[in-house]
Amino acid sequence: MSNQLPPKPRTPAKVVKRVIILLAVVALYVWTFSSVNINWERVFSERTLENINRIIPQFFDPAWAETGTILVKMVETIFIAYTGSLAAAVLAIPLAFLCASNMVKNKFLNTIGMWILGAVRAFPEIILAIIFVAAVGPNPFAGVLAIAIGSTGMLGKLYSEVIESIDMNIIEALEASGANKMQILFYGIMPQVLPEFLSYAIYRFEIDVRASSVLGIVGAGGIGTLITFAYLNRNWDEVGMILLVIIIAVTIIDQISGFIRRRLV
Amino acid sequence: MNKTDEFIPTSLYPAKTKRTISIAFIVVIGFYLVSSITTESFIINFFLKLGNITDLVGRFFPPDWGYVNNVWPKLFETIHMAIIATTIAVIISVPFCLLAAHNITTNKWLYNSMRMILNIIRTIPDIILAVVFVGLFGIGVFSGIIALIIFAVGILVKLMSEIIEAIDMHPSEAIRASGGNTIQTIWYAVVPQILPQFISFSLYVFEINIRASVVLGLVGAGGVGQLINKEINFLNYPAVSTIVLIIFAVVVVIDWISGKLREGLV
Amino acid sequence: MIEFKNLSLVYPNGNEGLKNINIKINEGEFVVIVGLSGAGKSTFIRSVNRLVTPTDGELIVDGEDILTHNGKSLRELRKKVGMIFQSYNLVKRSTVLKNVIAGRLGYTGTFRSIFNMYPKEDMELAYENLKRVNIENKLYSRADELSGGQQQRVSIARVLTQKPKVILADEPVASLDPPTSHQVMKYLKQINQEDNITTIVNLHFIDMAMEYADRIIGMRAGEVVYDGPASEVTEKTFEEIYGRTIREDDIRGGEVNE
Repeated sequence: MSNQLPPKPRTPAKVVKRVIILLAVVALYVWTFSSVNINWERVFSERTLENINRIIPQFFDPAWAETGTILVKMVETIFIAYTGSLAAAVLAIPLAFLCASNMVKNKFLNTIGMWILGAVRAFPEIILAIIFVAAVGPNPFAGVLAIAIGSTGMLGKLYSEVIESIDMNIIEALEASGANKMQILFYGIMPQVLPEFLSYAIYRFEIDVRASSVLGIVGAGGIGTLITFAYLNRNWDEVGMILLVIIIAVTIIDQISGFIRRRLV
Repeated sequence: MNKTDEFIPTSLYPAKTKRTISIAFIVVIGFYLVSSITTESFIINFFLKLGNITDLVGRFFPPDWGYVNNVWPKLFETIHMAIIATTIAVIISVPFCLLAAHNITTNKWLYNSMRMILNIIRTIPDIILAVVFVGLFGIGVFSGIIALIIFAVGILVKLMSEIIEAIDMHPSEAIRASGGNTIQTIWYAVVPQILPQFISFSLYVFEINIRASVVLGLVGAGGVGQLINKEINFLNYPAVSTIVLIIFAVVVVIDWISGKLREGLV
Repeated sequence: MIEFKNLSLVYPNGNEGLKNINIKINEGEFVVIVGLSGAGKSTFIRSVNRLVTPTDGELIVDGEDILTHNGKSLRELRKKVGMIFQSYNLVKRSTVLKNVIAGRLGYTGTFRSIFNMYPKEDMELAYENLKRVNIENKLYSRADELSGGQQQRVSIARVLTQKPKVILADEPVASLDPPTSHQVMKYLKQINQEDNITTIVNLHFIDMAMEYADRIIGMRAGEVVYDGPASEVTEKTFEEIYGRTIREDDIRGGEVNE
């Protein structure tokens, strides 16, 4: 056959880009694997075997006797998450309007709002919790504040996306009929965004239940406090029980919130 | 005159809607009050005691810039943990993504059990995984990496199986019709459709892993979190704020790079 | 030769897709199946490469009863029977060439196909087939950059690349405009004549059926209600097949004949 395939067209720019990305990735891996410090002798030591034999059976034989204490702390965890996320759901609204380019027609303010929200999001909740524990002492309030601030970052961003996607014609119509700014907000904007705001807030509550269950490790209240005690005292049966309670509670809350969110939208 | 003629609407909403909304509102507020009272946390306190709080937060300032050089080794360890864990998690998650997508795994029993395992894994907080692995393998990077892998696989499989379920199944019909076997069908008709998202989600999981690996150090699973834990125990707050600021900068930079890369993909 | 012997298909939900079909299709014939949507045309065609599995009767393709095929023997059957789809079914993000070479998958080992290790002859065959449908200049374009008609031509090239004995086409022109429809049908007809490949096409449009078919089979409610040479078919025949008068949307239009 005389059917020679024509050569594949390649633009030099593309080739260079690919080579650079490839080199960067290779360099990253070389750097990682040459400097990472894993103590293999410890990992594959007799102690590990002993630990496995000791911990795993305990872990899967949860301490039912502790159920009462653990449940009380789990409820506290849910309360922390709820208080924090409700506060965030409200705090995020003004910030979201500030970020939405169709509401505040000032690029500078939009960008500032985005920066605030972005900065907040970059902190893991547990770091916020550390700071608030230092500020208000080791109690649930520190956890609530950490959750509230952390959630505001994400909710503000999601809310502002919702606001930017609304139908502006309705607002034009209201303006044309002589409505003032507040009236437009409550008759034109809120009805459009409220279901999605609620849905996101509930979704964030799901995440917050997960997050607040570990805040106790740094002293910010909730079931995490028990994790630290159980872990320091090597009560693996308690760790197992705590984990079981968290899994069940989180699953139930996910189901309920999923149900409510489906009804909302 | 019949009755309907006399009807004048007194409200903008039907009575039933009003009732539902009122009840929902009362429940939300009621539950809020209960939560606030039991946890003794009133958000208003935050604003009332703002001065007090700023004073206390002030202990973190100014950051101890002399401490910066102590941060790098542990910070790099955190990044290394995230890179290794993400890489391994991505490889492990491939078969599970396919098993957890109902259009690829037509066996109902297999699909449902995969989904159930996945949901349970995703409810386990990363830090508890770390606690358990530190217990098993001792303090250090290895425990953290294992915890991150499991955590990342949970997220990645969930996200990817949803993408796979949304693909266009027509091409795979064509590949099957021309005699391709299962693996060829997946490679030729499924993979090209999901590859950009797969890479994008892998980068996203890398971002999450960076954040998570900061936290894992708090329980001894390696990385910069270990440093935070140490300095907090010494009440060395200016050092803590140095670490936190550096983490913040690194997280922002990595998110930005990975965001740029992901934009280029889709 | 393809032979349907008392072939029936009942879907799991109880719908009867095919009712006791007895048809013989000879080698090299260009058969057009007509009927309203839901008449069983698609089920008929998809039985031949077992994308659906008839529940009763026999279906002989190339001397074998294909209803017993599974796994490897089923893939062997599908190598011999190529298929063209209404929505082209190309992998949109892959290049044209990669889509066409996918026609060789049945001939290529899994390992070789994953690493794109195709013999030179296969690549040349793919390129030659792109030339046959006049789209070789789009070789390295992504499939989603092509128009509908171009995509359908690529899918014809893909089918040719698997060197089939039979080509099935399920509503190949339903998503195209009239001129492009005629172009695609002409390629199919030309390939049928030059390579003597048995071709079975599902069509809804009566004018196209009359123009391109050697033989027309009419279906209604899972049964064959007409079977005869295209030359004997009139509008009246279609009205009998469809069970109603002919409407405007039953006719594709465009060029009638050059």
